[in-house]
Amino acid sequence: MPTIQYGHHQVNYELSGEAGRPVITFLNGLTQNANLWKTYAAHFVPRGYRVLAYDMLGQGRSSKPVIDIKLSMHADLLDHLLTELGIEKTHLASISFGGIVGLDFAIRYGKRLHSLTAMSTFAELTPQLDLLGAVMLQGLAEVGLPYLQSMLYPMNMSSDWIAANRERIPAMKRAGYIGNDAYAMQNLMESFVEFQPLTPALKKITVPTLVMNGEFDFFTPRECHETIRREIANSRLLIIQRAYHAFTLEMPEVTMRQIEIFLQQVESDTWQGDQSVWIAADDPTAETQWLPLAGDWNRAVQIAPPNGPSKAKRTTAAAPRRKSAPRKATS
Amino acid sequence: MIDPALYDQARDRIAANGFTPEIQTKISLLLCAAKNGNALFHSGVQWVPNFGVVQQFILSQYSREIEAVTLLGRTTHWSQNPMLATEGARIIAPLTLAWGQVMAPPGPMFNPQAAYRGITLGHAQLARIRLLPVIPEKIDPQDPYVVALQRIEQENGRMLQTQIRLLKNIGTELPLEEREALVEQDQLLVDGVFSEFLAWLAAA
Repeated sequence: MPTIQYGHHQVNYELSGEAGRPVITFLNGLTQNANLWKTYAAHFVPRGYRVLAYDMLGQGRSSKPVIDIKLSMHADLLDHLLTELGIEKTHLASISFGGIVGLDFAIRYGKRLHSLTAMSTFAELTPQLDLLGAVMLQGLAEVGLPYLQSMLYPMNMSSDWIAANRERIPAMKRAGYIGNDAYAMQNLMESFVEFQPLTPALKKITVPTLVMNGEFDFFTPRECHETIRREIANSRLLIIQRAYHAFTLEMPEVTMRQIEIFLQQVESDTWQGDQSVWIAADDPTAETQWLPLAGDWNRAVQIAPPNGPSKAKRTTAAAPRRKSAPRKATS
Repeated sequence: MIDPALYDQARDRIAANGFTPEIQTKISLLLCAAKNGNALFHSGVQWVPNFGVVQQFILSQYSREIEAVTLLGRTTHWSQNPMLATEGARIIAPLTLAWGQVMAPPGPMFNPQAAYRGITLGHAQLARIRLLPVIPEKIDPQDPYVVALQRIEQENGRMLQTQIRLLKNIGTELPLEEREALVEQDQLLVDGVFSEFLAWLAAA
């Protein structure tokens, strides 16, 4: 992997595809690295794009600061990397921890973006996320990296995926244990101590923005993405069916197809950033990919009108009714 | 970063032959040398005045490093081949030399630079010398030596918190970039020793 220098830090990156083509930059989440975007490069390069992926500071083969790393430093580094590589503008697709970096970059360096895809991420620490982050940090510091890894699999992936990959998980954990350093993870997580909500600045993001959220993502649930959708005028929210937090890993075909459609819309000037909400088809070969959504996307259950149409099988039994008050005993 | 292939080769060697006395001796020689160096440093700084609550962490780490060495001494099935000790000493020499520099008169208690180096070197050892990936999947998890290695590695992660907190919060006039560079320098040193060690472990 080639490298650039950022201050005294070394940053490893991979840039594939012919020069002059539009660039898509991918940013990964915690405990991941640039290699995980190879499938995406294999998909997008033959479709006329260049793909840039790099190990963020503290991850993979890039430098892993011990003492200090400000959250804002990641966006500054991306700006530097693009300049070093002679890339004026890029599409940016980022997930989870990388998603926050993506939002920060779009706020402060929006002129360098054609578009933003924000996946499984958040602009502010909700009380749930705040406590979850504290538990993850505590587990990492007091029990160790293997504990955090074990915790992240069920938080990131579906039961189906875990069942299908159960035998491979020990080998994947081992590779992750070799490739990651607990102190560097801890340093990245501790950078949230000074994290200021990005929400008030989201309005500054004017580039086309696709917000993607897994239907069943309980790590960064709908409310996190709803905030982003609501604050960015030029956005749309796309819900990935039956997906959990790490759908870029679990459902790469579906994810790549959605990003591809979005980028085509942006590049052909047909994108409509109207803050509408859509559902992604779960078959990436389906003719219609973005399906309209009925009901309240912030709810997990949909309440049908009393006599309204419903696809759910209706019971023939009468709806339970409140019993009448017991009669008063007569003396 | 240490080449993952080195871990794979060492693990494959152990999977093929098991934790033989030679393998156990090699591992214990490295771990004991690293831990003795760190313990020596901690014994040298534990009476620094005005340490406050930090003193308790220093004393605790000193004790836990000694415990780890004792645990290894008890559980290792030591080889009787003296050439292993000779070759082990050669591989570990850069660490021995570095700890010698830290402890050289006037010693870390009276030399802030040496004290800082002791913390960065301890950090690098606790963070980068990791043996869990060389333990084969199908090894007996109740094997006393395997249990000892797992406990030591988990404890390393906990002990590392002392170095992390000290590196983040210690009062020093060194600029941040210079401090990070010192940390990275010792990581490279430890990575070099550990890479050569893994190759030695994988060798017949």
